[in-house]
Amino acid sequence: MAEQTQILLEQADLGRTIGRMAHEIIEKTGSPGDLVLIGIRSRGVHLARRLARKIEDIAKLAPPVGVVDVTPYRDDRTQEEARAAVGAFEAQVAVDEKTVVLIDDVIYRGRTIRAAMEAVERLGQPKRILVAVLIDRGARELPIRADIIGKNFAAQDGQRVNVLLEESDGVDRVTLAHWQRRGGD
Amino acid sequence: MRNLISIADLTNDEIEEIFSLADGADKLRTDRSASGQIMATLFYEPSTRTRLSFESAMQRLGGSVISCSDMKASSTAKGETIADTAKVVSSYADVLVVRHNWDGAVQAMAEHAEVPVINAGDGSHEHPTQTLCDLYTLRREKGDLKGLTVVVCGDLKNGRTIHSLVYALARFGANVVTLAATGMELPQYVIDRLEREYDYAMGPVASDDLSAVVTETDALYLTPKQPHQLALFTQVDKVIQARLNTMASGLRYDAFYMTRKQKERMKDGSAANSYPTIGPDFLNEKRFQNTVVMHPLPRVDELSPEVDKDWRGIYFKQAAYGVPVRMALLKFLFDQRSVTPSASSKETGAYRDSLSSGSKCRNLNCVTLKESVSTQRRMELYFADEIGVLISRCGYCDHRFKVELIGHVKSKRYCAYDIAFAETVRAWMRHGELAVFDSIKEAEELGYEPYKTGPQRVLMEEAEISAALADVSEQILRDCQDMDRLTIVGVRSVGSRLAQRIAGEIETRLKRKPELGEIEIYGSGNELKRIPPADPDAGPLNLKDREVILVDDVIFTGRTVKSALSIIFRSGRPKSVRLAVLIDRGHREIPVKPNYVGKNIPSSENERVRVRLHELEQGEQDQAVIYSIVNPIDDVETLARNEERAALS
Repeated sequence: MAEQTQILLEQADLGRTIGRMAHEIIEKTGSPGDLVLIGIRSRGVHLARRLARKIEDIAKLAPPVGVVDVTPYRDDRTQEEARAAVGAFEAQVAVDEKTVVLIDDVIYRGRTIRAAMEAVERLGQPKRILVAVLIDRGARELPIRADIIGKNFAAQDGQRVNVLLEESDGVDRVTLAHWQRRGGD
Repeated sequence: MRNLISIADLTNDEIEEIFSLADGADKLRTDRSASGQIMATLFYEPSTRTRLSFESAMQRLGGSVISCSDMKASSTAKGETIADTAKVVSSYADVLVVRHNWDGAVQAMAEHAEVPVINAGDGSHEHPTQTLCDLYTLRREKGDLKGLTVVVCGDLKNGRTIHSLVYALARFGANVVTLAATGMELPQYVIDRLEREYDYAMGPVASDDLSAVVTETDALYLTPKQPHQLALFTQVDKVIQARLNTMASGLRYDAFYMTRKQKERMKDGSAANSYPTIGPDFLNEKRFQNTVVMHPLPRVDELSPEVDKDWRGIYFKQAAYGVPVRMALLKFLFDQRSVTPSASSKETGAYRDSLSSGSKCRNLNCVTLKESVSTQRRMELYFADEIGVLISRCGYCDHRFKVELIGHVKSKRYCAYDIAFAETVRAWMRHGELAVFDSIKEAEELGYEPYKTGPQRVLMEEAEISAALADVSEQILRDCQDMDRLTIVGVRSVGSRLAQRIAGEIETRLKRKPELGEIEIYGSGNELKRIPPADPDAGPLNLKDREVILVDDVIFTGRTVKSALSIIFRSGRPKSVRLAVLIDRGHREIPVKPNYVGKNIPSSENERVRVRLHELEQGEQDQAVIYSIVNPIDDVETLARNEERAALS
């Protein structure tokens, strides 16, 4: 159970951060016409939709948004479980020859992103894959990097970064809680 | 008797013959063509209709059926390959009916079976017998197939029934309108095949004409923000095109072919809402008064109940034709048993891949990747058009890829493909001297050198390489949490040598040897193994719960690392993977980042960085070098410029 909670980002910070990330995505990917955003379920999807709106405001072109659920690809599931899960993509997008930006709320051990890359590969052959996350909390277990980062925060092992978003939690806020870790990112 | 893997295995005349057999249902009822024969149904995926109608058809023809209620619970669960299953079951039955979740798996099984094999659906590739039922239904309802306009709706990407159906419609001269759900458009390889083999192209129809399908009624639900892609594919045939052009009131739609809304693929509300559906508005629309509605079933909610009661909803009829059509097909195949199949190679003129080529299929659901031991590497090369775009096609799953790197087998040189070399490449093909690669790294692994290189510059000498490796080894030891779990894995071939050297460094420091392995990304062999000489008692390399250090010489786009990670994770869930490289040259296309880098070297994209080690290059010293690659096309252009200049002066 949570012992204590500390606020990392307030609503206004979150809005500014997402705005800056949208600019950075445009800057790093060049032509917005080739851009595809893929949100990782579930908060990554809300972030992807927000980023797509911001990008539309800036570049006058809304990138398509795909949704991926990586649970069937996660390496901590057994082969049998993985086989039983059908179709990781809930909203498919064409990725061939596109610049794909994978979007998640928090990057931690890197396993979710690796699984998402695997799922994208099943969709087609993108020109490039980048990763955008709201919070990079460090402590990677795989050689995966985030290209666009909202905020770096080196969290301790027993701490938990909670990203709360209006769409799912009724409020925009990022908090840090001392939590008993239950595994996973 | 012969195999039926693709709808292309039957000629139009043969399909007509099967249909006339199905028409004589009364005669079929007393037919005993399959008497004394046994059919084995092997279904690796669930099925009700296809399987039951096959079994019913076989028994009605006097034959009998054996089957395994769940292939996943059979010896497959014990790790039997599909090749072995096909061989074994061949001795129990006279014909195999197979459904599998991998693209091309039925083709692979047919190559190992000693009896004929019928495809009852393979991955998202083909489902020819469903197509026979669809065509038969259409012909019964609408008469001649030529000139009909059929709208295919819904999931056109994953639907194997759709792929077989559009090829068949094209062969019979019907027009095909595609109305895809968002993100589920017809795959490019299917469109390519329509264009190349059936002379189909996007039709010359005003966009208003097509959008009328969706705007004149609310029958087909559309979200305004994500317009569906509508396209008409039609034969490049003057008569048909002229007719299309003169149709004042737009196209006449003969049939709507809906596919199942795959709910499991879209839990997301918005995606589900944008799936096309047919409802009462459709039925009331005058334009559609003669348009029949088809569906391969099972359906979810893409057809409203009103359609069931209307004469135009013919999907239950379509399902009912399943047995007579399959009876007719079986009778046709059994009667032909003694006849050797006509040499109707659909790929005549195409170059058959030889061992010289390194290219492999990139469709991750292809049987060649899922179970390479049951397949032979077979990519077919052909020119897509007169311009000279070179395509390689997988002989199992039919996916097609543009060729970007080619090599000459005799001179062992590689270069980027350009349409300017089409003639040269044709000649190489004829003489079996053409090789194709997926990446420069692959070409180099297979011993090919660039066609021509610019001046070479030395980046690291022997002493610097040793110092860098010592440094990297030191850092690895510092970060390592548990020496007993450490496994050093090199990417073949230079990465493996570097991994061995790092292991040597660690051994001198700790007086014990870390576990050593090798990943082979290019090549047909074992993708993960111990580096010889390994302890014979050690057993196969298992990376589960290991602290893996992945070693490669140069990191560039990051694609090699991504492939290596996939291989590592297939072998089990490692505790961690850290990446060590001698040189990081930038230009990443995949979000991977090395943990240990010997040296960072800025480079431009058309340069190559090579690490040469004395273990691999005889008599040479260790060295890292950089040079630019000159492609022949640059030479051709320089030559042209020089000639121009000479002409001007």
